[in-house]
Amino acid sequence: MADTSTPGRSLTARHVGGVYGRSLVAQIRAITEYPADFWVMASAGVMWNVLQLAFLTVLFAAVPDVAGWDYHEMVMLAGLLSVAAGSTALLCDGVWSTGGMILKGEIDYRITRPAPVVVQVATTHIGMQGFGEVGFGLVMVVFGWIGAGLGLAAVPVGILGILCAIVIEGALITVFCAVNFWIKGPMSPFAFMLIDLQNSAMNLPLGLFPAGVRIVTMFVVPVAFVNFVPVAVLTGHLSAWWLIGTPLAAVASVLAAVGIYRLGLRSYDSSGH
Amino acid sequence: MASIDVALATISFKRKIAYKTTWLFSVLFGGWSLLAGLAVWSNLIGDGELGGYDWQSMKAYLIIGFLTSTLAWAGADWEMANRILDGLVAVDLTKPIDFQRARAAEYIGGMAASVPAAVLGTVAAVLIFRPAPPASPLAAALTVLSLLFIFPLAFGINYLSVLACFVTQRYLGIQWARDCFLAFFSGMMVPIALMPVWLQGVAWSLPFVHFTTTPASIYLGRVDALGGLGLIAAEAVWALGLWLGGRLIWNQLVKKVTVHGG
Repeated sequence: MADTSTPGRSLTARHVGGVYGRSLVAQIRAITEYPADFWVMASAGVMWNVLQLAFLTVLFAAVPDVAGWDYHEMVMLAGLLSVAAGSTALLCDGVWSTGGMILKGEIDYRITRPAPVVVQVATTHIGMQGFGEVGFGLVMVVFGWIGAGLGLAAVPVGILGILCAIVIEGALITVFCAVNFWIKGPMSPFAFMLIDLQNSAMNLPLGLFPAGVRIVTMFVVPVAFVNFVPVAVLTGHLSAWWLIGTPLAAVASVLAAVGIYRLGLRSYDSSGH
Repeated sequence: MASIDVALATISFKRKIAYKTTWLFSVLFGGWSLLAGLAVWSNLIGDGELGGYDWQSMKAYLIIGFLTSTLAWAGADWEMANRILDGLVAVDLTKPIDFQRARAAEYIGGMAASVPAAVLGTVAAVLIFRPAPPASPLAAALTVLSLLFIFPLAFGINYLSVLACFVTQRYLGIQWARDCFLAFFSGMMVPIALMPVWLQGVAWSLPFVHFTTTPASIYLGRVDALGGLGLIAAEAVWALGLWLGGRLIWNQLVKKVTVHGG
């Protein structure tokens, strides 16, 4: 029915960036109006990570390593995933509303505005649990980093890993929320599945899983590049060549997100038709 | 149970299965955690044992965790949360129906929609992975009884967490925090037996432990019949306590509801 762009007007990156920035700033202003909401949600995000750390601490009190990975390496793994997931909540949490907006026909209004629909939807909300997740996730990364004996020389690789992790995570969640254009429902079960898959398996070394899982998480739905590959390269479990795949996975994920959302909008037929 | 409760439960049941593809996928993907758990603990336990669990009993433990988590996370908590977030709760206050009781009926109706798939998934997992059998026929019967208490316990915990929406603008973060608490303190992530003693004390003083550790302990004979009955009694007490706690907190938080700024 519609495209992500508006005919007759070219959407420059500057314009799109401006719309995104202003929409996000508007959400931040809204947050300051509800301080209780902020603290409850940020604490929820911290609690999530505290329990992840507790899980690893309990586990490693019973076993010396998991598939060759030690405690600090696995804390980094969990920390990086948390930073990526939390950043997604802060930067594009609105994509979770895609399914609900499709059901209620709320995409209609956004199609008429001179900005990409995906940007408008993504900035309808900020997941404030993200503040806690990113904050404590970074603490876990640094704690694991120091404990694993990584020095300052590896910091550029770490920063690249974090930036790509944020982009891949946000793009993949957008892809899986866009499935609601075809499989209607108020919730986003595919995006929940992605999060579930990451929380179940990507906090652990991939070597534990059958080859099929490794192939899918690296080359089909590249969640391995969010946290496993960067941490494995940093800690020497994978060769440095794998690092090239991280920005490539980021670019591929963004292209997939934009393309699938665009396709979804073409098949969008508003509500009740 | 009044006919209104049955009617609300039926509506919730039908709403849950209205979007059949969504419903089917959300149940199917629940099996992913089970497979990941089996891969991890198979590697960690090998031919030995951890926390008193050998591989056979760990398989039974994980399958029970799959069954209970599929049930526990299938209720209509989002519908409850949205009533508060959207302000529909103001309309509910004008209805001659008790809010908590109505939401309980809806929640149990939503959970019931997941029972067939959860049971089928469990039977398939048992046939494929061949876990340890129940310690005795009595243990099997008590396990089923303890599983039934998951319905009121899940509602109680979800209702309390949903009430937080009176002071927040969004439910997602609350849901994830609660689910993480449930996964950790129920023993789904790591068995309680592996935790340090003080943390075991914390876990056993919370209601979450009854979602996995209690039915698994009864099933595997880690507690005798009397111990099993004691645990089931604890579940009953928690179900009642959470119900009364929910009512108490509702009475305080409902004062926050304003209609058209009045």
